[in-house]
Amino acid sequence: MSWYALSGSIEQGLAYGVLALGVYITFRVLHFADLTVDGTFPLGAAVAATLIVAGASPIVAVVVAFLAGMAAGALTGFMHTKMRIAGLLASILTMTALYSVNLRIMGRPNVPLLRQPTLFTHLSEWGFDHPLQALVVFGLLAVAVKLGIDWFLSTEIGLAVRATGDTPAMIRSLGVDTDAMIVLGLAFSNGLVALAGAMMAQYQGYADVGMGLGTIITGLASVILGQALIRPSTVFRATLGAVVGAVLYRLAIYFALGAGFAPTDLRIVTAVIVVLALAGPAIKERFAARKPPTDAELDALAQASRATGDGQPVAVQAGKEGM
Amino acid sequence: MLVLEKLTKTFPVGGGTLKVAVNRVDLRIEKGQFVTVIGSNGAGKSTLLNLIAGRLLPDRGRISLDGVDITRWSEHRRAQHIGRVFQDPLQGTAASMTIEENLSMAELRGRRRTLARGVTRGGRDRYRELLAPLGLGLETRLQSEVGLLSGGQRQSLSLVMATMTHPALLLLDEHTAALDPKTAKQVLDLTTRIVGEYGLTTLMVTHNLEHALRIGDRTIMMHEGSIVLDLSGPERARMTVQDLLAEFTRARGTDLVDDRLLLA
Repeated sequence: MSWYALSGSIEQGLAYGVLALGVYITFRVLHFADLTVDGTFPLGAAVAATLIVAGASPIVAVVVAFLAGMAAGALTGFMHTKMRIAGLLASILTMTALYSVNLRIMGRPNVPLLRQPTLFTHLSEWGFDHPLQALVVFGLLAVAVKLGIDWFLSTEIGLAVRATGDTPAMIRSLGVDTDAMIVLGLAFSNGLVALAGAMMAQYQGYADVGMGLGTIITGLASVILGQALIRPSTVFRATLGAVVGAVLYRLAIYFALGAGFAPTDLRIVTAVIVVLALAGPAIKERFAARKPPTDAELDALAQASRATGDGQPVAVQAGKEGM
Repeated sequence: MLVLEKLTKTFPVGGGTLKVAVNRVDLRIEKGQFVTVIGSNGAGKSTLLNLIAGRLLPDRGRISLDGVDITRWSEHRRAQHIGRVFQDPLQGTAASMTIEENLSMAELRGRRRTLARGVTRGGRDRYRELLAPLGLGLETRLQSEVGLLSGGQRQSLSLVMATMTHPALLLLDEHTAALDPKTAKQVLDLTTRIVGEYGLTTLMVTHNLEHALRIGDRTIMMHEGSIVLDLSGPERARMTVQDLLAEFTRARGTDLVDDRLLLA
Protein backbone atom coordinates (compact mmCIF):
# COMPACT_ATOMS: atom_id res chain seq x y z
CA MET A 1 0.00 0.00 0.00
CA SER A 2 1.56 3.20 -1.13
CA TRP A 3 0.77 6.61 -2.52
CA TYR A 4 1.48 5.10 -5.90
CA ALA A 5 -1.17 2.41 -5.45
CA LEU A 6 -3.63 4.91 -3.97
CA SER A 7 -3.27 7.39 -6.82
CA GLY A 8 -3.57 4.44 -9.20
CA SER A 9 -6.89 3.58 -7.60
CA ILE A 10 -8.14 7.14 -8.02
CA GLU A 11 -7.00 7.20 -11.66
CA GLN A 12 -8.83 3.96 -12.33
CA GLY A 13 -11.82 5.25 -10.42
CA LEU A 14 -12.02 8.31 -12.67
CA ALA A 15 -11.65 6.13 -15.78
CA TYR A 16 -14.43 3.91 -14.47
CA GLY A 17 -16.35 7.12 -13.81
CA VAL A 18 -16.84 7.43 -17.58
CA LEU A 19 -18.12 3.86 -17.58
CA ALA A 20 -20.40 4.63 -14.64
CA LEU A 21 -21.81 7.64 -16.52
CA GLY A 22 -22.63 5.32 -19.41
CA VAL A 23 -24.35 2.90 -17.06
CA TYR A 24 -26.21 5.83 -15.46
CA ILE A 25 -27.85 6.62 -18.82
CA THR A 26 -29.27 3.12 -19.28
CA PHE A 27 -29.88 2.09 -15.69
CA ARG A 28 -31.17 5.36 -14.23
CA VAL A 29 -32.42 7.39 -17.17
CA LEU A 30 -33.88 4.67 -19.39
CA HIS A 31 -34.54 2.12 -16.61
CA PHE A 32 -32.95 -0.49 -18.83
CA ALA A 33 -30.66 -3.13 -17.29
CA ASP A 34 -28.05 -3.22 -20.03
CA LEU A 35 -25.47 -6.01 -19.85
CA THR A 36 -24.10 -5.07 -23.28
CA VAL A 37 -21.44 -3.08 -21.43
CA ASP A 38 -19.64 -6.28 -20.41
CA GLY A 39 -18.95 -6.65 -24.12
CA THR A 40 -18.50 -3.01 -25.09
CA PHE A 41 -15.83 -2.22 -22.49
CA PRO A 42 -13.40 -4.81 -23.97
CA LEU A 43 -14.70 -3.89 -27.45
CA GLY A 44 -13.45 -0.35 -26.94
CA ALA A 45 -10.14 -1.69 -25.64
CA ALA A 46 -9.80 -4.17 -28.51
CA VAL A 47 -10.60 -1.62 -31.20
CA ALA A 48 -8.26 1.00 -29.76
CA ALA A 49 -5.37 -1.42 -29.12
CA THR A 50 -5.65 -3.04 -32.54
CA LEU A 51 -5.76 0.34 -34.29
CA ILE A 52 -2.80 1.65 -32.30
CA VAL A 53 -0.73 -1.45 -33.08
CA ALA A 54 -1.69 -1.00 -36.74
CA GLY A 55 -0.25 2.51 -36.57
CA ALA A 56 -3.33 4.67 -36.12
CA SER A 57 -3.21 7.77 -33.96
CA PRO A 58 -4.38 7.10 -30.37
CA ILE A 59 -6.98 9.85 -30.76
CA VAL A 60 -8.42 8.24 -33.88
CA ALA A 61 -8.35 4.91 -32.03
CA VAL A 62 -10.43 6.34 -29.17
CA VAL A 63 -12.94 7.92 -31.53
CA VAL A 64 -13.38 4.70 -33.52
CA ALA A 65 -13.74 2.76 -30.25
CA PHE A 66 -16.52 5.16 -29.21
CA LEU A 67 -18.32 4.61 -32.52
CA ALA A 68 -17.94 0.83 -32.25
CA GLY A 69 -19.48 0.95 -28.78
CA MET A 70 -22.37 3.03 -30.13
CA ALA A 71 -23.01 0.43 -32.82
CA ALA A 72 -23.10 -2.36 -30.22
CA GLY A 73 -25.53 -0.40 -28.04
CA ALA A 74 -27.71 0.38 -31.04
CA LEU A 75 -27.82 -3.35 -31.86
CA THR A 76 -29.16 -4.16 -28.39
CA GLY A 77 -31.68 -1.34 -28.82
CA PHE A 78 -32.74 -2.65 -32.20
CA MET A 79 -33.26 -6.17 -30.87
CA HIS A 80 -35.29 -4.82 -27.98
CA THR A 81 -37.49 -2.32 -29.81
CA LYS A 82 -37.94 -3.86 -33.25
CA MET A 83 -37.56 -7.58 -32.55
CA ARG A 84 -39.36 -7.26 -29.19
CA ILE A 85 -36.73 -9.21 -27.24
CA ALA A 86 -36.74 -8.43 -23.52
CA GLY A 87 -34.14 -5.74 -22.75
CA LEU A 88 -32.00 -7.79 -20.41
CA LEU A 89 -31.94 -10.75 -22.79
CA ALA A 90 -31.20 -8.58 -25.84
CA SER A 91 -28.23 -7.10 -24.02
CA ILE A 92 -26.94 -10.53 -22.95
CA LEU A 93 -27.14 -11.66 -26.58
CA THR A 94 -25.10 -8.69 -27.80
CA MET A 95 -22.62 -9.18 -24.97
CA THR A 96 -22.19 -12.86 -25.85
CA ALA A 97 -21.70 -12.10 -29.53
CA LEU A 98 -19.19 -9.35 -28.72
CA TYR A 99 -16.90 -11.87 -27.05
CA SER A 100 -16.33 -13.50 -30.44
CA VAL A 101 -16.20 -10.14 -32.18
CA ASN A 102 -13.53 -8.89 -29.78
CA LEU A 103 -11.40 -11.99 -30.37
CA ARG A 104 -11.79 -11.47 -34.12
CA ILE A 105 -10.75 -7.85 -33.85
CA MET A 106 -7.65 -8.61 -31.80
CA GLY A 107 -6.86 -11.93 -33.50
CA ARG A 108 -5.78 -13.29 -30.12
CA PRO A 109 -6.96 -12.96 -26.52
CA ASN A 110 -4.50 -10.20 -25.54
CA VAL A 111 -2.92 -7.28 -27.38
CA PRO A 112 -0.04 -5.62 -25.50
CA LEU A 113 0.62 -1.91 -26.07
CA LEU A 114 4.15 -1.86 -24.69
CA ARG A 115 6.36 0.54 -26.60
CA GLN A 116 3.36 1.68 -28.64
CA PRO A 117 2.43 5.34 -28.82
CA THR A 118 -0.61 6.00 -26.62
CA LEU A 119 -2.40 9.15 -25.50
CA PHE A 120 -0.17 9.09 -22.43
CA THR A 121 3.15 8.77 -24.30
CA HIS A 122 1.96 11.52 -26.67
CA LEU A 123 1.26 13.83 -23.76
CA SER A 124 4.71 13.07 -22.34
CA GLU A 125 6.28 13.93 -25.68
CA TRP A 126 4.30 17.16 -25.82
CA GLY A 127 5.86 18.15 -22.52
CA PHE A 128 3.17 17.07 -20.09
CA ASP A 129 5.18 14.43 -18.28
CA HIS A 130 4.26 14.35 -14.64
CA PRO A 131 3.40 11.70 -12.03
CA LEU A 132 -0.12 13.14 -11.97
CA GLN A 133 -0.50 12.90 -15.75
CA ALA A 134 -2.99 10.01 -15.75
CA LEU A 135 -4.92 11.53 -12.86
CA VAL A 136 -5.32 14.81 -14.75
CA VAL A 137 -6.25 13.10 -18.01
CA PHE A 138 -8.88 10.86 -16.46
CA GLY A 139 -10.14 13.64 -14.22
CA LEU A 140 -10.64 16.03 -17.13
CA LEU A 141 -12.23 13.30 -19.23
CA ALA A 142 -14.68 12.32 -16.47
CA VAL A 143 -15.65 15.95 -15.87
CA ALA A 144 -16.04 16.64 -19.59
CA VAL A 145 -18.23 13.57 -20.09
CA LYS A 146 -20.26 14.42 -16.99
CA LEU A 147 -20.91 17.97 -18.21
CA GLY A 148 -21.62 16.66 -21.70
CA ILE A 149 -24.33 14.36 -20.35
CA ASP A 150 -25.77 17.16 -18.20
CA TRP A 151 -26.02 19.29 -21.30
CA PHE A 152 -27.44 16.54 -23.52
CA LEU A 153 -30.14 15.59 -21.02
CA SER A 154 -31.31 19.21 -20.92
CA THR A 155 -31.75 19.51 -24.68
CA GLU A 156 -35.04 18.92 -26.49
CA ILE A 157 -33.89 15.44 -27.52
CA GLY A 158 -32.39 14.74 -24.09
CA LEU A 159 -35.67 15.58 -22.34
CA ALA A 160 -37.43 13.14 -24.68
CA VAL A 161 -34.90 10.43 -23.75
CA ARG A 162 -35.52 11.04 -20.05
CA ALA A 163 -39.29 10.99 -20.51
CA THR A 164 -38.97 7.70 -22.43
CA GLY A 165 -37.44 6.16 -19.32
CA ASP A 166 -39.97 7.82 -17.04
CA THR A 167 -43.37 7.58 -18.78
CA PRO A 168 -43.16 6.17 -22.31
CA ALA A 169 -46.92 6.45 -22.99
CA MET A 170 -46.84 10.15 -22.21
CA ILE A 171 -43.92 11.11 -24.42
CA ARG A 172 -45.27 8.97 -27.26
CA SER A 173 -48.55 10.88 -26.96
CA LEU A 174 -46.46 14.04 -27.49
CA GLY A 175 -45.16 12.76 -30.82
CA VAL A 176 -41.85 11.17 -29.84
CA ASP A 177 -40.71 7.84 -31.27
CA THR A 178 -39.75 6.11 -28.02
CA ASP A 179 -38.06 3.24 -29.89
CA ALA A 180 -35.65 5.73 -31.42
CA MET A 181 -34.97 7.29 -28.02
CA ILE A 182 -34.16 3.87 -26.49
CA VAL A 183 -31.76 3.07 -29.35
CA LEU A 184 -30.18 6.50 -29.02
CA GLY A 185 -29.73 6.18 -25.26
CA LEU A 186 -28.24 2.70 -25.52
CA ALA A 187 -25.89 3.77 -28.30
CA PHE A 188 -24.69 6.83 -26.37
CA SER A 189 -24.22 4.80 -23.18
CA ASN A 190 -22.26 2.02 -24.85
CA GLY A 191 -20.18 4.53 -26.78
CA LEU A 192 -19.06 5.97 -23.45
CA VAL A 193 -18.34 2.52 -22.02
CA ALA A 194 -16.22 1.64 -25.07
CA LEU A 195 -14.45 4.99 -24.68
CA ALA A 196 -13.62 4.05 -21.09
CA GLY A 197 -12.34 0.67 -22.36
CA ALA A 198 -10.16 2.35 -24.97
CA MET A 199 -8.67 4.65 -22.33
CA MET A 200 -8.16 1.81 -19.90
CA ALA A 201 -6.29 -0.27 -22.50
CA GLN A 202 -3.85 2.59 -23.08
CA TYR A 203 -3.50 3.21 -19.36
CA GLN A 204 -2.77 -0.37 -18.37
CA GLY A 205 -0.82 -1.12 -21.55
CA TYR A 206 -2.90 -3.93 -23.03
CA ALA A 207 -6.32 -5.00 -24.18
CA ASP A 208 -7.61 -8.32 -22.96
CA VAL A 209 -10.70 -10.22 -24.06
CA GLY A 210 -11.54 -10.99 -20.43
CA MET A 211 -11.35 -7.42 -19.15
CA GLY A 212 -15.09 -6.83 -19.58
CA LEU A 213 -16.21 -9.39 -17.05
CA GLY A 214 -18.18 -7.61 -14.34
CA THR A 215 -18.25 -4.22 -16.11
CA ILE A 216 -21.97 -3.86 -15.44
CA ILE A 217 -21.47 -4.60 -11.75
CA THR A 218 -18.69 -2.00 -11.53
CA GLY A 219 -20.97 0.51 -13.20
CA LEU A 220 -23.96 -0.32 -11.06
CA ALA A 221 -21.88 -0.31 -7.87
CA SER A 222 -20.60 3.16 -8.78
CA VAL A 223 -24.02 4.59 -9.66
CA ILE A 224 -25.67 3.13 -6.57
CA LEU A 225 -22.85 4.11 -4.25
CA GLY A 226 -22.93 7.61 -5.71
CA GLN A 227 -26.64 8.11 -5.27
CA ALA A 228 -26.44 6.85 -1.71
CA LEU A 229 -24.04 9.70 -0.98
CA ILE A 230 -25.37 12.42 -3.26
CA ARG A 231 -29.16 12.48 -3.50
CA PRO A 232 -29.83 12.43 -7.26
CA SER A 233 -32.48 15.17 -7.21
CA THR A 234 -31.16 16.69 -10.43
CA VAL A 235 -29.27 15.33 -13.43
CA PHE A 236 -26.26 17.41 -12.35
CA ARG A 237 -26.16 15.72 -8.96
CA ALA A 238 -26.86 12.25 -10.35
CA THR A 239 -23.96 12.37 -12.82
CA LEU A 240 -21.70 13.83 -10.15
CA GLY A 241 -22.73 10.91 -7.94
CA ALA A 242 -21.82 8.40 -10.66
CA VAL A 243 -18.27 9.75 -10.94
CA VAL A 244 -17.78 10.09 -7.18
CA GLY A 245 -19.25 6.62 -6.71
CA ALA A 246 -16.81 5.13 -9.23
CA VAL A 247 -13.82 6.63 -7.42
CA LEU A 248 -15.12 5.51 -4.02
CA TYR A 249 -15.76 2.06 -5.38
CA ARG A 250 -12.15 1.79 -6.54
CA LEU A 251 -10.96 3.05 -3.17
CA ALA A 252 -13.13 0.46 -1.43
CA ILE A 253 -11.41 -2.21 -3.53
CA TYR A 254 -8.04 -0.70 -2.67
CA PHE A 255 -8.78 -0.91 1.03
CA ALA A 256 -10.24 -4.39 0.68
CA LEU A 257 -6.95 -5.52 -0.86
CA GLY A 258 -5.11 -3.75 1.94
CA ALA A 259 -7.26 -5.58 4.47
CA GLY A 260 -5.93 -8.86 3.17
CA PHE A 261 -8.46 -9.91 0.54
CA ALA A 262 -6.87 -11.66 -2.43
CA PRO A 263 -7.47 -10.10 -5.86
CA THR A 264 -9.52 -13.19 -6.68
CA ASP A 265 -11.89 -12.28 -3.83
CA LEU A 266 -12.72 -8.91 -5.37
CA ARG A 267 -15.84 -10.09 -7.14
CA ILE A 268 -17.52 -11.24 -3.99
CA VAL A 269 -16.46 -8.00 -2.29
CA THR A 270 -18.07 -6.08 -5.15
CA ALA A 271 -21.22 -8.17 -5.02
CA VAL A 272 -21.52 -7.53 -1.29
CA ILE A 273 -21.03 -3.78 -1.78
CA VAL A 274 -23.77 -3.68 -4.42
CA VAL A 275 -26.14 -5.81 -2.37
CA LEU A 276 -25.63 -3.61 0.68
CA ALA A 277 -26.15 -0.42 -1.32
CA LEU A 278 -29.28 -1.79 -3.01
CA ALA A 279 -30.66 -3.19 0.23
CA GLY A 280 -29.93 0.07 2.05
CA PRO A 281 -33.49 1.43 2.01
CA ALA A 282 -34.96 -1.90 3.09
CA ILE A 283 -32.44 -2.27 5.88
CA LYS A 284 -33.02 1.28 7.06
CA GLU A 285 -36.77 0.73 7.12
CA ARG A 286 -36.37 -2.43 9.15
CA PHE A 287 -34.17 -0.94 11.81
CA ALA A 288 -35.40 2.62 12.02
CA ALA A 289 -38.99 1.70 12.88
CA ARG A 290 -41.10 4.82 12.46
CA LYS A 291 -42.52 6.06 15.73
CA PRO A 292 -46.29 6.51 15.68
CA PRO A 293 -47.53 10.10 15.18
CA THR A 294 -48.56 11.94 18.35
CA ASP A 295 -52.00 13.49 18.90
CA ALA A 296 -50.54 16.96 18.40
CA GLU A 297 -49.06 15.95 15.04
CA LEU A 298 -52.32 14.39 13.90
CA ASP A 299 -54.26 17.54 14.88
CA ALA A 300 -51.81 19.71 12.98
CA LEU A 301 -52.17 17.49 9.92
CA ALA A 302 -55.94 17.66 10.04
CA GLN A 303 -55.82 21.42 10.31
CA ALA A 304 -53.42 21.75 7.41
CA SER A 305 -55.68 19.52 5.32
CA ARG A 306 -58.70 21.72 6.13
CA ALA A 307 -56.71 24.82 5.28
CA THR A 308 -55.99 23.68 1.74
CA GLY A 309 -59.69 22.93 1.52
CA ASP A 310 -59.54 20.43 -1.30
CA GLY A 311 -59.93 17.43 0.94
CA GLN A 312 -56.64 16.04 -0.20
CA PRO A 313 -53.96 14.76 2.08
CA VAL A 314 -51.12 17.21 2.50
CA ALA A 315 -47.45 16.55 2.76
CA VAL A 316 -45.58 17.10 5.96
CA GLN A 317 -41.86 17.52 5.63
CA ALA A 318 -40.43 15.63 2.68
CA GLY A 319 -43.09 13.50 1.10
CA LYS A 320 -45.53 13.41 -1.68
CA GLU A 321 -48.46 15.74 -1.60
CA GLY A 322 -51.87 14.36 -2.16
CA MET A 323 -52.45 11.28 -4.18
CA MET B 1 -62.46 17.09 -38.92
CA LEU B 2 -62.25 13.41 -38.02
CA VAL B 3 -63.78 10.78 -40.30
CA LEU B 4 -64.00 7.09 -39.46
CA GLU B 5 -65.15 4.72 -42.20
CA LYS B 6 -66.15 1.14 -41.40
CA LEU B 7 -63.53 1.08 -38.66
CA THR B 8 -63.17 -2.45 -37.29
CA LYS B 9 -61.04 -4.11 -34.64
CA THR B 10 -61.19 -7.71 -33.46
CA PHE B 11 -59.20 -9.49 -30.77
CA PRO B 12 -58.52 -13.21 -30.64
CA VAL B 13 -60.09 -14.69 -27.51
CA GLY B 14 -58.68 -18.19 -27.76
CA GLY B 15 -60.14 -21.30 -29.31
CA GLY B 16 -59.74 -19.66 -32.70
CA THR B 17 -62.64 -17.28 -32.12
CA LEU B 18 -62.61 -13.49 -32.32
CA LYS B 19 -64.21 -10.81 -30.21
CA VAL B 20 -65.36 -7.81 -32.21
CA ALA B 21 -64.35 -4.80 -30.13
CA VAL B 22 -65.22 -2.18 -32.74
CA ASN B 23 -67.59 -3.18 -35.50
CA ARG B 24 -67.61 -1.20 -38.78
CA VAL B 25 -68.00 2.15 -37.10
CA ASP B 26 -68.78 5.15 -39.31
CA LEU B 27 -68.36 8.49 -37.62
CA ARG B 28 -67.83 12.03 -38.82
CA ILE B 29 -66.87 14.75 -36.37
CA GLU B 30 -66.84 18.28 -37.68
CA LYS B 31 -64.09 20.69 -36.84
CA GLY B 32 -64.62 22.22 -33.41
CA GLN B 33 -67.25 19.69 -32.39
CA PHE B 34 -67.10 18.36 -28.81
CA VAL B 35 -68.38 14.78 -28.70
CA THR B 36 -68.97 12.76 -25.54
CA VAL B 37 -68.85 8.97 -25.75
CA ILE B 38 -70.73 6.69 -23.39
CA GLY B 39 -71.33 2.97 -23.17
CA SER B 40 -71.00 0.14 -20.70
CA ASN B 41 -67.75 -1.66 -20.01
CA GLY B 42 -66.60 -3.59 -23.06
CA ALA B 43 -68.71 -1.52 -25.46
CA GLY B 44 -65.59 -0.56 -27.43
CA LYS B 45 -65.08 3.04 -26.29
CA SER B 46 -61.48 2.64 -25.25
CA THR B 47 -60.65 0.50 -28.26
CA LEU B 48 -62.13 3.20 -30.48
CA LEU B 49 -59.98 5.85 -28.83
CA ASN B 50 -56.88 3.65 -29.07
CA LEU B 51 -57.57 3.07 -32.77
CA ILE B 52 -57.82 6.81 -33.39
CA ALA B 53 -54.68 7.49 -31.34
CA GLY B 54 -52.79 4.76 -33.16
CA ARG B 55 -52.00 2.60 -30.17
CA LEU B 56 -53.96 -0.11 -32.01
CA LEU B 57 -54.17 -0.63 -35.76
CA PRO B 58 -57.58 -1.48 -37.24
CA ASP B 59 -58.34 -4.76 -39.05
CA ARG B 60 -60.46 -2.88 -41.57
CA GLY B 61 -61.62 0.62 -42.32
CA ARG B 62 -60.12 4.08 -42.61
CA ILE B 63 -59.34 7.00 -40.34
CA SER B 64 -58.77 10.46 -41.73
CA LEU B 65 -57.98 13.64 -39.90
CA ASP B 66 -58.47 16.98 -41.64
CA GLY B 67 -58.63 15.15 -44.97
CA VAL B 68 -55.41 13.16 -44.48
CA ASP B 69 -55.58 9.38 -44.31
CA ILE B 70 -53.80 8.42 -41.08
CA THR B 71 -55.01 4.80 -40.89
CA ARG B 72 -51.51 3.34 -41.03
CA TRP B 73 -49.61 6.09 -39.23
CA SER B 74 -47.66 5.13 -36.12
CA GLU B 75 -48.87 6.36 -32.75
CA HIS B 76 -46.10 8.93 -32.33
CA ARG B 77 -46.60 10.31 -35.83
CA ARG B 78 -50.31 10.85 -35.23
CA ALA B 79 -49.50 12.43 -31.92
CA GLN B 80 -48.10 15.36 -33.86
CA HIS B 81 -51.75 16.29 -34.48
CA ILE B 82 -53.62 14.52 -31.69
CA GLY B 83 -53.53 15.51 -28.02
CA ARG B 84 -54.48 12.94 -25.43
CA VAL B 85 -55.24 12.81 -21.72
CA PHE B 86 -55.23 9.40 -20.07
CA GLN B 87 -57.42 8.17 -17.24
CA ASP B 88 -54.41 7.60 -15.01
CA PRO B 89 -52.89 10.94 -13.91
CA LEU B 90 -49.53 9.18 -13.61
CA GLN B 91 -49.48 8.37 -17.32
CA GLY B 92 -49.84 11.86 -18.70
CA THR B 93 -46.84 13.49 -17.06
CA ALA B 94 -43.25 12.48 -16.31
CA ALA B 95 -42.99 12.30 -12.52
CA SER B 96 -39.22 12.58 -12.21
CA MET B 97 -39.09 15.73 -14.37
CA THR B 98 -40.03 19.28 -13.50
CA ILE B 99 -43.21 21.11 -14.49
CA GLU B 100 -41.30 23.27 -16.95
CA GLU B 101 -39.55 20.28 -18.50
CA ASN B 102 -42.89 18.54 -18.97
CA LEU B 103 -44.38 21.65 -20.58
CA SER B 104 -41.37 22.13 -22.81
CA MET B 105 -41.74 18.58 -24.13
CA ALA B 106 -45.43 19.19 -24.79
CA GLU B 107 -44.73 22.49 -26.53
CA LEU B 108 -42.59 20.63 -29.08
CA ARG B 109 -45.47 18.46 -30.25
CA GLY B 110 -45.43 18.43 -34.03
CA ARG B 111 -41.98 19.96 -34.24
CA ARG B 112 -38.60 18.41 -34.83
CA ARG B 113 -36.69 18.00 -31.58
CA THR B 114 -33.13 19.28 -31.74
CA LEU B 115 -30.12 19.70 -29.49
CA ALA B 116 -31.32 23.16 -28.53
CA ARG B 117 -31.92 23.78 -24.84
CA GLY B 118 -35.25 22.29 -23.78
CA VAL B 119 -36.38 24.86 -21.22
CA THR B 120 -35.71 28.43 -22.27
CA ARG B 121 -36.37 31.73 -20.55
CA GLY B 122 -39.00 32.61 -23.14
CA GLY B 123 -40.59 29.22 -22.57
CA ARG B 124 -40.82 29.85 -18.83
CA ASP B 125 -42.70 33.09 -19.45
CA ARG B 126 -45.14 31.30 -21.74
CA TYR B 127 -45.66 28.47 -19.22
CA ARG B 128 -46.38 30.96 -16.42
CA GLU B 129 -49.01 32.67 -18.56
CA LEU B 130 -50.53 29.33 -19.45
CA LEU B 131 -50.64 28.03 -15.88
CA ALA B 132 -51.72 31.16 -14.01
CA PRO B 133 -55.40 31.00 -15.10
CA LEU B 134 -55.70 27.47 -13.65
CA GLY B 135 -55.55 28.96 -10.16
CA LEU B 136 -53.49 26.04 -8.88
CA GLY B 137 -50.35 28.03 -8.18
CA LEU B 138 -48.34 25.86 -10.54
CA GLU B 139 -46.90 28.93 -12.25
CA THR B 140 -44.81 29.60 -9.15
CA ARG B 141 -43.50 26.04 -8.99
CA LEU B 142 -42.09 25.55 -12.49
CA GLN B 143 -38.99 23.85 -11.14
CA SER B 144 -40.86 21.40 -8.90
CA GLU B 145 -40.88 17.77 -9.84
CA VAL B 146 -44.26 16.69 -11.17
CA GLY B 147 -44.17 13.67 -8.85
CA LEU B 148 -44.76 16.08 -5.95
CA LEU B 149 -48.12 17.24 -7.34
CA SER B 150 -51.52 15.85 -6.40
CA GLY B 151 -53.54 13.76 -8.84
CA GLY B 152 -55.77 16.69 -9.71
CA GLN B 153 -52.84 19.01 -10.30
CA ARG B 154 -51.15 16.40 -12.48
CA GLN B 155 -54.30 15.84 -14.51
CA SER B 156 -54.74 19.61 -15.00
CA LEU B 157 -51.14 19.80 -16.16
CA SER B 158 -51.73 16.84 -18.51
CA LEU B 159 -54.68 18.71 -19.98
CA VAL B 160 -52.61 21.84 -20.53
CA MET B 161 -49.87 19.72 -22.12
CA ALA B 162 -52.32 17.92 -24.39
CA THR B 163 -53.86 21.16 -25.64
CA MET B 164 -51.13 23.82 -25.62
CA THR B 165 -50.25 23.35 -29.29
CA HIS B 166 -53.95 23.43 -30.31
CA PRO B 167 -53.92 19.92 -31.84
CA ALA B 168 -56.34 18.99 -34.62
CA LEU B 169 -57.99 16.48 -32.29
CA LEU B 170 -58.20 16.06 -28.52
CA LEU B 171 -58.87 12.61 -27.03
CA LEU B 172 -60.00 12.39 -23.40
CA ASP B 173 -60.23 8.86 -22.03
CA GLU B 174 -62.25 9.08 -18.79
CA HIS B 175 -59.71 11.63 -17.72
CA THR B 176 -61.56 12.55 -14.53
CA ALA B 177 -62.51 9.02 -13.46
CA ALA B 178 -59.53 8.57 -11.13
CA LEU B 179 -60.14 11.85 -9.27
CA ASP B 180 -62.30 12.62 -6.27
CA PRO B 181 -65.62 14.32 -7.22
CA LYS B 182 -64.54 17.83 -6.35
CA THR B 183 -61.23 17.62 -8.19
CA ALA B 184 -62.97 15.89 -11.08
CA LYS B 185 -65.31 18.86 -11.39
CA GLN B 186 -62.42 21.32 -11.41
CA VAL B 187 -60.63 19.38 -14.14
CA LEU B 188 -63.85 19.08 -16.11
CA ASP B 189 -64.50 22.83 -15.88
CA LEU B 190 -60.97 23.43 -17.06
CA THR B 191 -61.57 21.03 -19.94
CA THR B 192 -64.66 22.85 -21.21
CA ARG B 193 -62.87 26.19 -20.82
CA ILE B 194 -59.79 25.16 -22.79
CA VAL B 195 -61.73 23.29 -25.48
CA GLY B 196 -64.05 26.27 -25.90
CA GLU B 197 -61.27 28.83 -25.95
CA TYR B 198 -59.17 26.96 -28.55
CA GLY B 199 -62.16 25.55 -30.47
CA LEU B 200 -60.70 22.04 -30.33
CA THR B 201 -62.30 19.05 -32.01
CA THR B 202 -62.77 16.75 -29.03
CA LEU B 203 -63.76 13.18 -28.25
CA MET B 204 -64.38 12.54 -24.55
CA VAL B 205 -65.13 9.11 -23.12
CA THR B 206 -67.01 9.27 -19.82
CA HIS B 207 -68.98 7.02 -17.53
CA ASN B 208 -70.88 9.94 -16.10
CA LEU B 209 -74.15 10.31 -18.00
CA GLU B 210 -74.79 13.73 -16.49
CA HIS B 211 -71.47 14.99 -17.86
CA ALA B 212 -72.07 13.24 -21.16
CA LEU B 213 -75.26 15.21 -21.74
CA ARG B 214 -74.30 18.52 -20.21
CA ILE B 215 -70.82 18.89 -21.71
CA GLY B 216 -70.04 19.30 -25.39
CA ASP B 217 -72.50 19.41 -28.25
CA ARG B 218 -72.98 15.80 -29.27
CA THR B 219 -73.26 12.47 -27.47
CA ILE B 220 -72.77 9.02 -28.93
CA MET B 221 -73.53 5.75 -27.19
CA MET B 222 -71.63 2.60 -28.02
CA HIS B 223 -72.76 -0.94 -27.51
CA GLU B 224 -70.99 -4.13 -28.54
CA GLY B 225 -68.63 -2.27 -30.83
CA SER B 226 -71.24 -0.19 -32.64
CA ILE B 227 -72.67 3.29 -32.25
CA VAL B 228 -76.27 2.73 -31.18
CA LEU B 229 -77.25 6.30 -30.40
CA ASP B 230 -76.08 9.62 -31.80
CA LEU B 231 -77.58 12.68 -30.18
CA SER B 232 -77.16 16.34 -30.97
CA GLY B 233 -79.13 19.55 -31.21
CA PRO B 234 -82.59 19.87 -29.63
CA GLU B 235 -82.99 16.10 -29.34
CA ARG B 236 -79.93 16.00 -27.10
CA ALA B 237 -81.02 19.08 -25.18
CA ARG B 238 -84.31 17.38 -24.26
CA MET B 239 -82.55 14.21 -23.15
CA THR B 240 -82.35 13.44 -19.44
CA VAL B 241 -80.16 10.96 -17.64
CA GLN B 242 -83.28 8.83 -17.11
CA ASP B 243 -83.98 8.80 -20.87
CA LEU B 244 -80.38 7.84 -21.49
CA LEU B 245 -80.60 4.96 -19.03
CA ALA B 246 -83.70 3.77 -20.83
CA GLU B 247 -81.77 3.87 -24.10
CA PHE B 248 -79.05 1.81 -22.49
CA THR B 249 -81.53 -0.80 -21.41
CA ARG B 250 -83.02 -0.90 -24.88
CA ALA B 251 -79.59 -1.31 -26.45
CA ARG B 252 -78.80 -4.21 -24.21
CA GLY B 253 -82.18 -5.77 -24.77
CA THR B 254 -82.51 -6.42 -21.08
CA ASP B 255 -83.28 -4.41 -18.00
CA LEU B 256 -79.95 -5.22 -16.43
CA VAL B 257 -78.04 -1.98 -16.35
CA ASP B 258 -74.35 -1.90 -15.64
CA ASP B 259 -73.60 -1.05 -12.02
CA ARG B 260 -71.16 1.68 -12.93
CA LEU B 261 -73.80 3.43 -14.97
CA LEU B 262 -76.40 3.37 -12.24
CA LEU B 263 -73.95 4.90 -9.85
CA ALA B 264 -72.89 7.54 -12.33
